[in-house]
Amino acid sequence: MSNLELLTLTLAELAAKIKAREVSPVEVTEAALAQANRLQPVLNSFITLLPEQAMRQAKEQETALARGEYRGPLHGVPMGIKDNLATAGIRTTVGSKVLLDHVPQEDAHVVQLCKEAGAIILGKENLEEFAAGATSNNPHYGAVHNPWALDHIPGGSSGGGGANVAACVTFASLGTDLGGSVRLPGTFCGVVGLKQTFGRVSQRGLMVTSFNGDHIGPLTRSVRDSALVLQAIAGYDPLDPSTVPVPVPDYTASLGRDVRGLRMGVPSNYFFDVLDSEVEAAVRRAIADLEGLGVEAREIALPSMQYAGALRIASMADSVVTHEPYLKTQRQAYGPDVLYRTLAGQFVLGRDYAKALKVQRLIKEEHARVLQQVDFLVTATAPIPAPRIGAPTVTLGGTEYRVRGPGSGLIARNTSPSNATGLPAMTVPCGFTAAGLPIGVQFIGRPFEEALLFQVAHAYEAVSPSRGRRPDSMNTEIPI
Amino acid sequence: MALSNDTLKAMMRELQGFHLSDEELERIRPELDHYLAEVENLRELDLSHVLSARLLRAKDGGQA
Repeated sequence: MSNLELLTLTLAELAAKIKAREVSPVEVTEAALAQANRLQPVLNSFITLLPEQAMRQAKEQETALARGEYRGPLHGVPMGIKDNLATAGIRTTVGSKVLLDHVPQEDAHVVQLCKEAGAIILGKENLEEFAAGATSNNPHYGAVHNPWALDHIPGGSSGGGGANVAACVTFASLGTDLGGSVRLPGTFCGVVGLKQTFGRVSQRGLMVTSFNGDHIGPLTRSVRDSALVLQAIAGYDPLDPSTVPVPVPDYTASLGRDVRGLRMGVPSNYFFDVLDSEVEAAVRRAIADLEGLGVEAREIALPSMQYAGALRIASMADSVVTHEPYLKTQRQAYGPDVLYRTLAGQFVLGRDYAKALKVQRLIKEEHARVLQQVDFLVTATAPIPAPRIGAPTVTLGGTEYRVRGPGSGLIARNTSPSNATGLPAMTVPCGFTAAGLPIGVQFIGRPFEEALLFQVAHAYEAVSPSRGRRPDSMNTEIPI
Repeated sequence: MALSNDTLKAMMRELQGFHLSDEELERIRPELDHYLAEVENLRELDLSHVLSARLLRAKDGGQA
């Protein structure tokens, strides 16, 4: 098997080969590091690469296998970790200059779980400064580039993870999602991105996070891989009060189940109101494909979504509180996009914050009612395909929208509501624009029913026009 | 609702302890305008019936 064949396997395929001792953790880690070194100058997807640690972990995992200690599907699998998840003894910058030299003493809970499951940590991945934006154009560590079109953004804030998974540098990456930051790199990079139910995965060790709606979730090349990673990181954490002590099912059990008879809600308002025409066409095709698989489409209305913009009010206030310890003394170390967007939160009145929380509740209740009539919702993940790096604005339907910094918000329009509701949501590739940019379809489910989302997404993935496609930027043989 | 530059500067000075220049305020302004537009959008919305609830429950669509 060539290195290219090895690296283009899915996590599940690699896991089967490692379990069967057909591929060794050392062999695949060497190949992944070579791919990382080759593509880092092109993608800028890592802030810190960890070659020595990765090879040490790979040898340990190989030794464990030789002893007959197989730890499950992540055993010996190279992964990436977003650089806002704490890693013991390894600097964790959160994409900021403020935390340039910050070295945590403990691993984030999810990192610990992945290590215990035998994963190899390849490096800490580049992201938007403080994970506060959707472009991954970082003012301190440089822009991450989209493997499908190098002059375009990979989405954010987990852009390094999206780029690495798409370019077959990693087999999975852990990102974080406060307004779409896993799902947006998923859609722009043509991979699967999951934001599971709030409370399903511990946030302990997620740094400089919001008080309201942050999630840690996987970016992968397949739906099955997403299920396998969630299996490893899901569960109650007594040290994180946001986690919920509900049983974690076998997420792969629902894969391959017939989707006939499931009911899919197609929103008649908000989610399809502001959409690029190519994105809308691809998502409508995905809906038709699901109907072809026997899923029943029902139009549903979410009238409270006309107030969804108010959710941003709460985020603004939360953000300034989150950054307060740094703003007073290290304001000069911030990039302008995050600084001025964050400072605006200082002016949010308590009255408006309280109203925003009520709107959040209203929207949550409305989603709950609708999800009693249908099994899941389907929307576009992002209203537009990936903009060019550095583009300050995009024009859609004759309206100009800011892409980054103060006043931006278009890119996360369809993803951020699920952070406010806490509902599970995932993006699956559903085609390409004429220019070759990936498009994603988003499925939103009931709380703690990730298994149903996996069932639907897995069925759709098999008929998606994106299946089997890889970006050209990684389609060359990799010398070691 | 409109907030004058002097008011904004005074708030930042008193609450965060630093001075904002006019140029900096202009860079904040798009986010502030977004906030004010959303506040205006909420003006006629009756939220008095919305009750607080915290927990998501499985199997019932998240109704708490």
